[in-house]
Amino acid sequence: MTRQIPVTVIGGYLGAGKTTLLNRLLAEAQNVKLAVLVNDFGSVNIDAALISSRDGETINLANGCVCCSIGDNLGLALHDLAERPDGPDRILIEASGVADPAKISHYAESHPRLALDSIVVVADAETVRARADDKYVGDLVRLQLAAADAIVLSRTDIVDAETCRAVRTWIETEIPGARLAASHDLDHGQMFVTRTFESELPLDGAALRAALAALPADVVRAKGIVRLIEAPDRHSVLQFAGRRWSLEPDTAEVGPLERNRSVIVCIGLAGSIDLARLDACFAGVLPSALPAALIDELHQGALRS
Amino acid sequence: MPGPITVFSAKKIITMDASVEEATHVAVRDGIILEVGNLDDCGAWGPYTLDNRFADSILIPGLIESHAHLLDGLLWAKAHYVGPIDRYDPAGTLQKGLTNNAALVNRLREIESRMTDPTKPLVGWGVDPSLNDPIAPITRLELDQVSKTRPIFLLHASCHVASVNSATLDVANYAAIKAPGVLRDASGAPTGELREMAAMLVAVRAVAADMIGGSTDAAQFYNFARVAQARGATTIVDGGGSTYFDPAFLSAALAATAAEDFPARIVAHNNGITVPGADDMIRFAKALEGKGNDKLAFQGIKIILDGSNQGFTGRLRPPGYLGSGENGLWNRAPDELRTLVPALHNAGLQIVAHCNADQAAEMFIEAVALAQAAKPRFDHRHFIVHGQLLDESLLRRMVSLGIHATLFSNHLYYWGEFHRAHTFGAFRTAALNPAATALRLGVVVSAHSDTPVSPVDPLLTLWCAANRVSATGRVFGPRERVSAYDALKMMTFNAAYLLHRDHEIGSIRVGKRADFTILARDPLAVDSMAIRDIPVHGTIVGGRVFAAG
Ligand SMILES: [Zn+2]
Repeated sequence: MTRQIPVTVIGGYLGAGKTTLLNRLLAEAQNVKLAVLVNDFGSVNIDAALISSRDGETINLANGCVCCSIGDNLGLALHDLAERPDGPDRILIEASGVADPAKISHYAESHPRLALDSIVVVADAETVRARADDKYVGDLVRLQLAAADAIVLSRTDIVDAETCRAVRTWIETEIPGARLAASHDLDHGQMFVTRTFESELPLDGAALRAALAALPADVVRAKGIVRLIEAPDRHSVLQFAGRRWSLEPDTAEVGPLERNRSVIVCIGLAGSIDLARLDACFAGVLPSALPAALIDELHQGALRS
Repeated sequence: MPGPITVFSAKKIITMDASVEEATHVAVRDGIILEVGNLDDCGAWGPYTLDNRFADSILIPGLIESHAHLLDGLLWAKAHYVGPIDRYDPAGTLQKGLTNNAALVNRLREIESRMTDPTKPLVGWGVDPSLNDPIAPITRLELDQVSKTRPIFLLHASCHVASVNSATLDVANYAAIKAPGVLRDASGAPTGELREMAAMLVAVRAVAADMIGGSTDAAQFYNFARVAQARGATTIVDGGGSTYFDPAFLSAALAATAAEDFPARIVAHNNGITVPGADDMIRFAKALEGKGNDKLAFQGIKIILDGSNQGFTGRLRPPGYLGSGENGLWNRAPDELRTLVPALHNAGLQIVAHCNADQAAEMFIEAVALAQAAKPRFDHRHFIVHGQLLDESLLRRMVSLGIHATLFSNHLYYWGEFHRAHTFGAFRTAALNPAATALRLGVVVSAHSDTPVSPVDPLLTLWCAANRVSATGRVFGPRERVSAYDALKMMTFNAAYLLHRDHEIGSIRVGKRADFTILARDPLAVDSMAIRDIPVHGTIVGGRVFAAG
């Protein structure tokens, strides 16, 4: 199967700062072809110098990124991107200000070539608390925050530090376990940083599960293909998104010496993730020596094949 | 040079005019009413041809469907109707509802056996398991009994769900689709039920691409008008989602409706639904002003504030939906509405606002109040579509701001029991679609079908407003029943008023257009419960006769 394109949904109420974030990501992307689906070209404000061409529903940027108008059908616009021969590396969907981002994220799983990466919800540090108490939109604002794998606080540069702290505390109380970042922390438009852990040796499943349960709140997403000591004849697939994770054996059997390597990739919010803490988390997972019984088993298996 | 005069005779002509109530003859010249009275009165205009075809019938002003969607015509053109509700098709034939899966499978087999190309998908619409007896899902197991090889796609009445067979699941590669709306059985295999567009999309694209819209197929316009005409409508509103601002779509619409035998007038709202910003909305609406023809006109701009009540997406005031206390979804942000509504109002447009539940209506009223404070306008006739949960205080604010409404009276019949049990509970269901209170307070109200949501049938809608009876026979909110006269006025003059056309249509009066509906019996004389069963003999549009059957 061809590689799936990861899709990130950017949600948040009207005026929260979604387009500002998208504009920055588009302008500053390097070595990654982003495709951004927006509701209204009028609101994106791409520097004319960066635009290489424009045709109808698409603006092409010199850095290889594209910005497409959703028009009246998000699904069609998204499938059109998925089926382009020269598709993007990553798709970002700007959800409408009144959308439930969780519902929009279903579109990220509506095509064989797409895979949901994460839901990021932007909240305006200055107004989000008032919005959350508004009789017309309070429930919606809370629903959007609750759907987030990561919450990006915008306009933190214009509110004072005390307000900023108070908003963070409020969100952490309202949405227990929320992963928070301030947009001005995001370096060079890199919203996410990745950290890769690799091992040539099978991993201890119990230790890995314990590590997953204790991952720092700034890890938005983690994925991995690993070999576990408890199931050495097959790969196990690790998925971690928001506050949910799974570690399940793959159905296909693999040869004992074939593709031994375990790889886990963690994605965190730039500027907020504590890499040292993350490393510490995985330190107990990566084995220093193989149990003798397993070495035997591998040898026997290797002889059999 | 004026054309010849035709005098139509009738057993009784109900004029719905404020001053003159009844007549027996109406003289028509060049599509316009010349005289209303007896034969001698009509003769005062000189020689005429007497048309006695309807001498034993009742002539009323042409019925007006004040809110419907062109999609209905597209569905008739592209798919087979297989739903549980009785519907008349564009041929004027009653398609009896299929109210259980066995009947559905039989009907689909019949359709399938007549299809010649074995690869052509079988596409149906209108199914609704919630109205079936027994209530049972429609899965691939049922549909595979029709065909295992021909793709089958059934769009549900809600338009939010589809049922497909195994062939469609294969063609569209559902094995690789993880969207949560793809329902699965215990073994993880898709059941064939697809909930919401994200789950339906690959199937739609693979086997039912015609449903995606933007089609310029001429048949959709004809079917849309014809289905309504066969049930007595002479004017039908296309309620806002169509893309008349697209030159190709506009020329298809103009060409289709210009045909002399086009059976009804279409009044289309400008699109404020899929056009994102106020500037484009206003530009497109202004560009379409006066662009129509005798049977196609553009009026008002449609915006949508919330979702649907039966889909739990209408925006409610507290305490929210029955039991859960949850609320629905906004279609546009309230903060946007506070600038969009004044912008459209300032541009001189008439705003037609879809507000299903009461918080959406409250929001619209608040936005119009802002607009009126900034720039007072008289006689703008902004109106609310659906307004199902309007109450006296909202209606009084509407009166003070000049906002009117077309109510979704059909809901009580089709979904009254559902609302009582699942969405609103007893009190709010009894208070739904308060036509009597609205009329008493001076709100000009009409009622509508919202086809394809419920069947376009103005007499049925009139009957619903007058009787407020559910399909199960329960009367909801008897105080909100209106007299047959008021109900008829809702479906004629009031609807014309909402469309800024009461000087042209909506009553039988000298100088107005000769648009009439011909009924077998007098709707004001029969028992009000019998109104929906009055046979429609046909319609007259601009003096031209269109038979019903
Ligand atoms: Zn509608």
